[in-house]
Amino acid sequence: MSDNINFKDIWAKQTSVAPNSEILISEIKKMKQSNLRKLVLTNLLLIATSIFIILIWIYFQPQLITTKIGIMLIILAMVIFLFAYNKSYSLFKSHMNSQSNSDYLKDLLAIKAKQRFMETTMMNLYFILLSLGIALYMYEYTQRMSTFWGIFTYAITSIWILFNWFYLRPKQIKKQRAKLDAIIAKFEMVNNQLNV
Amino acid sequence: MEVFDEIYKRYWDRIFRLCMGYVNDHNLAQDLTQETFISVWKQLPKFRNESSVGTWVFRIASNNCLRQIEKQNRFPKGQLPSNLVEEKQTNIEPQIQFLYKCIAELPEIDRIIISLELEDVKQAEIASIVGLSEANIRVKIHRIKEKLTQKFTSNER
Repeated sequence: MSDNINFKDIWAKQTSVAPNSEILISEIKKMKQSNLRKLVLTNLLLIATSIFIILIWIYFQPQLITTKIGIMLIILAMVIFLFAYNKSYSLFKSHMNSQSNSDYLKDLLAIKAKQRFMETTMMNLYFILLSLGIALYMYEYTQRMSTFWGIFTYAITSIWILFNWFYLRPKQIKKQRAKLDAIIAKFEMVNNQLNV
Repeated sequence: MEVFDEIYKRYWDRIFRLCMGYVNDHNLAQDLTQETFISVWKQLPKFRNESSVGTWVFRIASNNCLRQIEKQNRFPKGQLPSNLVEEKQTNIEPQIQFLYKCIAELPEIDRIIISLELEDVKQAEIASIVGLSEANIRVKIHRIKEKLTQKFTSNER
């Protein structure tokens, strides 16, 4: 066996042209902006919706307590969603990648587990609060309708909510879970390489 | 800013080779190297010399390579334009190509260890980058080199 292969020499022959560092820095700034834009947009959208709902409250002056509770639940649902969304964004931001590989992998695994919990639990909470909120909110207005239309309105809304709960929600959760689980499994595999 | 330029000049090639050993894909390695320096640029104000600059930069680079697992899930390998990469690599000596191919086929952590070793990083430093004991690193390097030598000799025949 020829033990004298000089791997270091062969290794060092691989070179690459470094792009101008100024181009790199301008790229960084662009990337930062696009990430931030998405975050700001989601926040604005939900905040605008909440303001709209509050305006309805002020403008139409609901009489029943159920309506008010309904409105608050809907807003709460959105606040919780925003909180989780912003939190999962900042999880990685505060995360240090200048630690050793083994610490980094442990960190990544912990973050992924947290993300998994947040995405499923928060999603459930969001759905429950939103559905409950809508159901309560509608009560005052359906009271003014005839019995038939009242039941009809509730039936349609319930179908929509049930469709969300039993079809869209599990689908969404399953998709996120599968993605996260695959990543977690791979990280664990690499992490195990450190223990051999 | 000046400090960054200095690190950038001194480490670009070295980081590129580390990434190349990890993924064996010219374009992807270029991207990973770029991402590493983005991280370096962002974190430089926080760098307090707890470790040497080299250790610090190599840690960021190797962790970034490990994060690659996540991105691979997003872009399955088949979707990347691979013909572009091959075109670029044809003018490289087959021996170099073979070495990088062999390294990229090793387990992830081994890829990082051997890349750092070939980059002439001290074993104590490798240990602090990876987070294993020095003795452990020494054993691993020995085994990896044996594996590579075997592959090279059987390739020659």
